[in-house]
Amino acid sequence: MPHQRNSSIQNPEALERQRQYELFQESLPKVNALVYQMLLNEIIPLSSHVENQLQTIPMEEFSEDQTESQLKDLSLEEKQVSNPSSSDQLIYKLSQLADEDENEFNNTLKRVRDIGIKLGTRLTNLLVFTNNVNLNFKEMDLLLIMKFICRDVWKQIFGKQIDNLKTNHRGTFYLIDYDYALIQDFCIETNTIPSQLNEEVITSKELKLVEPFLELPVGIIKGVLLSLGYPLEEVICLATFIDKPREKIRNGFPKGISFHVQITKPNQQQ
Amino acid sequence: MSKSRSSSLSAHAAALSSKSTANQSKFFKTLGEDIWKNKIEKINAELFVMTYGVIVQQLCQDLNNDYIKINENLFSMGYNIGVRLIEDFLARTALPRCPNMTMTSEVISKVAFKIFLNITPQIENWNTNRDSFSIILTENPLTEFVELPQDAMKQLWYSNIICGVLKGALEMVQLDCDVNFMTDVLRGDLTTEIKIKLNKILKDEIPLGED
Repeated sequence: MPHQRNSSIQNPEALERQRQYELFQESLPKVNALVYQMLLNEIIPLSSHVENQLQTIPMEEFSEDQTESQLKDLSLEEKQVSNPSSSDQLIYKLSQLADEDENEFNNTLKRVRDIGIKLGTRLTNLLVFTNNVNLNFKEMDLLLIMKFICRDVWKQIFGKQIDNLKTNHRGTFYLIDYDYALIQDFCIETNTIPSQLNEEVITSKELKLVEPFLELPVGIIKGVLLSLGYPLEEVICLATFIDKPREKIRNGFPKGISFHVQITKPNQQQ
Repeated sequence: MSKSRSSSLSAHAAALSSKSTANQSKFFKTLGEDIWKNKIEKINAELFVMTYGVIVQQLCQDLNNDYIKINENLFSMGYNIGVRLIEDFLARTALPRCPNMTMTSEVISKVAFKIFLNITPQIENWNTNRDSFSIILTENPLTEFVELPQDAMKQLWYSNIICGVLKGALEMVQLDCDVNFMTDVLRGDLTTEIKIKLNKILKDEIPLGED
């Protein structure tokens, strides 16, 4: 949050620039944040749908009969009318795939991650040109880059910062978000679960369903690192569920998320 | 809290029962602006444009520039958003059912587009039955800074997600409509026009899976 970092700015001129920057940010055109969140979440069923399409129709058949495929599209849309929860169904199907067809499951996750990477790369560009007085990309070392992700990137996309950043100062970082924004409103449809299951099984099922949604922020982290000089193959990023601290447990999704980032070849030149 | 809510509800009722469409129109305009100003969490439109751009780009790449398939995917993405978005819309606006398509069109342009995308498109081209009209997007927050390559200009409806959202949301309030792009400035047309045509009013049904 810019306010917290004000403490590092002493002179009134810098403070004035900071104020100007905030005013400018406020004056920019805006859209509804909820719509943006929904758009981000819809990336996951979309990727799964695309993967399905590519699996069922081999590429060569695409161009053969355009009019016929157009007709098929129309009838597809009509089917959707009686089937309003199709994006939910895609998600449930996706979690089943994890056990049945690992290949297709992984392809879908990769698709989501690729969108995240593209998004992360462009977001760096966007933030570089914002004139934020607190950002100086020239002398950014890895730790500062991670802080940049935790504060500025997360704030832009998810409306909040990462709650906690841990590091061993040797290229391993843990970014912990106790209320990762995009999954806070999720709940599992009870009628899809056999009633005899106990709570533990339900929770693990629920977590399995949410897993694909974590590939997007993973991609974003890798994308930002890529745009700041850390190639994709040198960065390992994994998301895992962690327990929330007791005071946060009542709200939203029952688990927090920990993003484990590891740079495998620390940039020695810097 | 409860007092302000009941007074706003009676204001609703007064405006909605009012015979004059000018009155209604003004009411929707202030309602939309008021909600946008006071009750909406906002993000930078630039981030929104960029994200949508990335999604379309990835689709083009994955589907090998098969624009018909891409249009369809964007539409169904929107549809899935629309069926959820309508809940938020109804909760925020507390608007009752619209008695006719004229009012529906007013609500879409002055309230829905306003509180979600912060634009107020024009409504034009009514047919004689008054069950079909066009939305003219004079500004479109999805296409700021966007240019299409030559081959995409012929087939791609870049903002097709909007049609999907409208389709999904309208269906949830029992209006079965066709929603299509007619023209788009990205394709070199002079205007961006979305056509909405009412097919039939669906019967109230219990949603699937809720016995």
